[in-house]
Amino acid sequence: MEIGPIFRALLRNRTGAILIAVQIAFTLTVVLNAAVMINEQVSKAGRPSGLNEADTFHMQSEAIDTINPQVTINNDLRAIRETPGVANALQMNTIPLSNGGWSTGVRVQQGDDPPVYSAAMYMVDDQAIDTMQLKLIAGENFAASDVVWRKPDESGWPGRVIITKALAKSLFPDDSPETTVGRAILLGESPANIIGIVDQLQAPWTQSSQIESSVMVPQQFQTGSPRYLIRAEPGQRDRLMPEIEAQLAERERGRMIRNLYSMDEVRRRSYNLETGLAMILGFVMVVLLLITGLGILGLASLSVRRRIKQIGIRRALGASTRDVLRYFLIENLLITSSGVVLGAIMAVAFNIALVNAMNFPKIEWYGVPLGMVVLVLLGQLAVWGPARQACGVSPATATRTV
Amino acid sequence: MIFYYLRLAAISLRRNWGQTTLMILAIGLGIGVCMSIVTINYLMAKDPIPDKSSQLYYVQLDNWDPNRPAESPNEPPDQITWMDHQALMSAAKAFRQTGNASATAIIRKPDDDNFRPFLARIRGNHADFFPMFDVPFLYGTGWTSDAHRDWGADQVVVLSRETNDRLFGGEDSVGREITLGNPTEFSSNLFRVIGVLDEWRPVPRFYDLTSNYFSDPAEIFIPFGLILSQGLSRSGNTNCWKPTGDGLRAFLGSECVWIQYWTELRNHQEKADYMAYLDQYVTEQKEGGRFPRPLNNRLSNVNEWLDHENVVQPEAKMLLAVAVMFLVVCLLNTIGLLLSKFLGKSSEIGVRRALGASRGSLMYQYLVETAMIGFGGGLLGLLLTWLGLESMLAIFGSDASNLMRLDLNMVVAAVALAIASAIGAGLYPTWRACRIDPAAQLKSQ
Amino acid sequence: MLDMKGIARIYQTDLVRTHALRDLTLTVNEGDFTAVVGPSGSGKTTFLNIAGLLEDFDEGSYLLDGENVAGLNDRQRSKLRNEKIGFIFQGFNLIPDLNVFDNVDVPLRYRGFPAAERKRRIEEQLERFGLTGRIRHFPSQLSGGQQQRVAIARALAGDPRFLLADEPTGNLDSASASGVLDLLEGLHTSGTTIIMVTHDPALAARAPSSIHLQDGRVVGNDEAAA
Ligand SMILES: Nc1ncnc2c1ncn2[C@@H]1O[C@H](COP(=O)(O)OP(=O)(O)O)[C@@H](O)[C@H]1O
Ligand SMILES: [Mg+2]
Repeated sequence: MEIGPIFRALLRNRTGAILIAVQIAFTLTVVLNAAVMINEQVSKAGRPSGLNEADTFHMQSEAIDTINPQVTINNDLRAIRETPGVANALQMNTIPLSNGGWSTGVRVQQGDDPPVYSAAMYMVDDQAIDTMQLKLIAGENFAASDVVWRKPDESGWPGRVIITKALAKSLFPDDSPETTVGRAILLGESPANIIGIVDQLQAPWTQSSQIESSVMVPQQFQTGSPRYLIRAEPGQRDRLMPEIEAQLAERERGRMIRNLYSMDEVRRRSYNLETGLAMILGFVMVVLLLITGLGILGLASLSVRRRIKQIGIRRALGASTRDVLRYFLIENLLITSSGVVLGAIMAVAFNIALVNAMNFPKIEWYGVPLGMVVLVLLGQLAVWGPARQACGVSPATATRTV
Repeated sequence: MIFYYLRLAAISLRRNWGQTTLMILAIGLGIGVCMSIVTINYLMAKDPIPDKSSQLYYVQLDNWDPNRPAESPNEPPDQITWMDHQALMSAAKAFRQTGNASATAIIRKPDDDNFRPFLARIRGNHADFFPMFDVPFLYGTGWTSDAHRDWGADQVVVLSRETNDRLFGGEDSVGREITLGNPTEFSSNLFRVIGVLDEWRPVPRFYDLTSNYFSDPAEIFIPFGLILSQGLSRSGNTNCWKPTGDGLRAFLGSECVWIQYWTELRNHQEKADYMAYLDQYVTEQKEGGRFPRPLNNRLSNVNEWLDHENVVQPEAKMLLAVAVMFLVVCLLNTIGLLLSKFLGKSSEIGVRRALGASRGSLMYQYLVETAMIGFGGGLLGLLLTWLGLESMLAIFGSDASNLMRLDLNMVVAAVALAIASAIGAGLYPTWRACRIDPAAQLKSQ
Repeated sequence: MLDMKGIARIYQTDLVRTHALRDLTLTVNEGDFTAVVGPSGSGKTTFLNIAGLLEDFDEGSYLLDGENVAGLNDRQRSKLRNEKIGFIFQGFNLIPDLNVFDNVDVPLRYRGFPAAERKRRIEEQLERFGLTGRIRHFPSQLSGGQQQRVAIARALAGDPRFLLADEPTGNLDSASASGVLDLLEGLHTSGTTIIMVTHDPALAARAPSSIHLQDGRVVGNDEAAA
């Protein structure tokens, strides 16, 4: 219909239109790439660890004042487990999600030079599966008699281990993980047999690419600074945290209790960078859309003001308010459409550059058209106000203004 | 004339306050977001020791697994073993050299029972560490390079300024004593303070990039050998590629790497000589059956090392690109609004020309107006930069506090960037306005 | 003295060349009051713009006070315009953002007068045109006749030797128009050189001399009437 004349009028005043179109193109580029990044960061920060995190917390006791820490650790554990409100507790060499821990290269025993997979080592006792509420999908738990003390300077590993499903899949790519119970593997140079498979137990390093590979060994670490992981009955965690801290400090004066954190807090700290990045990008994205919208609004209202007389003349010549409204909406549509087409190209190019330069997520196929539609709608929304204002121009303006 | 233009600008800006607000907001936000992110990038990437960064070299020796590199494609490990550390230190082939490693200890004051013990970050290093890295002293000195003391016969410490504030309320504590205890064993030993540092927090903590280098400066420095002889608890990364035996002795004789090694080499000749020495050393070791991989030693100066360790995260670079695009959008926005504003004044421009204004004076007038917007945007941008850094601090926690500091350079840069970008954005519209043909304007009645 | 010889002005657009002025030769002497008449599109405004150094010409020569303006740069032309020429427009062309005082102030600012001098001149002019009570008004708050008087005050504030008026009464009712003409006659008597473009023969008749333009050419010159 009237696209022709609107387009020709635009061409006569093209600088303004080009500016908006380029602005929209940049906005689309940033918004699309920020959106995939936000999506990735948020889902990374939210992926499950395999533990019941909501009810669990941990703490570390430093400088146990005794010649033999085994006694203190056993006493601590017994007292914690007996505290009302505690569901179960465990001594561990490290805490999932805490970004510090032990790792070993794991490989199968047969074949020459089999591939080595790096796995996290968790030293735990027979209460581990219950305390962390892990899901044992095949095989069996450790027996209490499996658990032995590990000296601080000991190397090598015990012969009965429980591994994660993901590690089993890596080690035995041809078999279903459930059937790998009983197989022989090497932890470093120590031979071991798989006695059980758990569905999930993440390694402590949140940035690791092999985060799903973990091994549990039936050992208690003989250390002067043991870490305890404690699961409370539902709803009791916050009450128990200070209570158990006080209880431990009370029982042995010389020691220091450190790192008293709920698992929620551990997760929050470990994924700080991811959530922070997502927040910053989200903010940038929203503000950018806002600025672009306001910019379109500002330019449109200026152009309405400049064209008051013209609009009056059109009205005097018989244009209805609908026609005037449509004029501005179509004009805006022409500008934003060229902007989003340019923007789609730029966004994909920028995305490809990012994917090549770093481990960056690709834009999904539907992301580009979705972003284009959003920006076109934004443009229409922004121009709506000034266009309504243009509709208010009286046809008499044509004769009155100089 | 400048006052006349300032007044004209004020009138014009007030007349269209909505538009003015929008432009100031756009520039302010653009600057704010851009500068917050640039500040972080700048602090991440800036040279932590500009005077000497090209003379300090980090040493890497490839003692790794014959079947796979420490890091792909073919990188040597990022630390060295105890055995190599001993050999390099006693050969002392560089102008200055120091190995260093981190540990933790529980700090107590033997003469003050009310003092609450705390866990401190300890750095073990050699005497050259202090002069090499231009470490400033407030009181006392570091230990001298006298080998006897350096290897740890004397139990002396150097405190950071913050630690001295915490322990001794900031007074000259040289000669006082503290105890360093092992957190995992119940043992502790007396140490005598021989020096207190002045403020020294290089960001990033270039001398040790193996952990948390944007936070956690060392709190207490002790002679390197004491980390082991006093049984302190080592806290840095330790990487091994083959099993070690049991016990400390076995660990020290193992291929596990855990020591960072720095040298000061004053010129190309010294660097070439040192490289030759390293190659010769490794070749000798190969005869003893160590170093199974091909010769692959590295000397990286400070900036090369920062680069190698990816101190500026790729995410930060991506954010920077996003921030720049954000600024571009804000500027395009401003250009559009200014253009539209100035072109809306065509008839005024025609009149002024008819009344004797030259193109130059109109240019001047509109640039003053643009600069005013730029100044407003700059101030707002500065405020938003500060707010941005504060909120990032809130998001990332105190770990990042070293990165979130707005130094004077950045303040000046923010204002300059704001005014420059506003004027940059204003230049084209102003130029267009001044090209307006006065005759055509006056005729079109 | 204003001396034009063989002036031609050609507008080249995509499709057509318009000869707005062809071979125009004319002299306006010190103290003249000349009307330029002709039908619409005959080149009157173009002539006035060239005379006022707002526009360039393609052929011929133009001496203003004996100075050849062809070789002047923008700055020099602006200076001449500012010091020697006053403009009055059909549409008044007051700056809507500035009040009466500031509007009259505009040419004085470019002249570089000190503040006291500017104030004196502005007040003198406004008083002369009976606008003293309107000093703080904005153009939109004035009637057409008042606006044109402000425009004349602005044109005269810098004591120009030439006053160029393009259809100065075109937008005014007949009473205001005649008032404006009275003013111009008064100025002429006090020695200002005036060139007034109009298409109204009745107004032109009140000027002592007139030039007729048609299709960019001088077709008549009735100085004899003076
Ligand atoms: N900028 C321009 N481009 C093309 N033609 C023009 C331009 N300005 C004036 N003209 C033409 O020059 C001729 C003289 O115009 P003008 O001097 O404005 O006439 P007048 O003032 O006598 O009505 C007209 O034919 C007009 O169409
Ligand atoms: Mg005309």
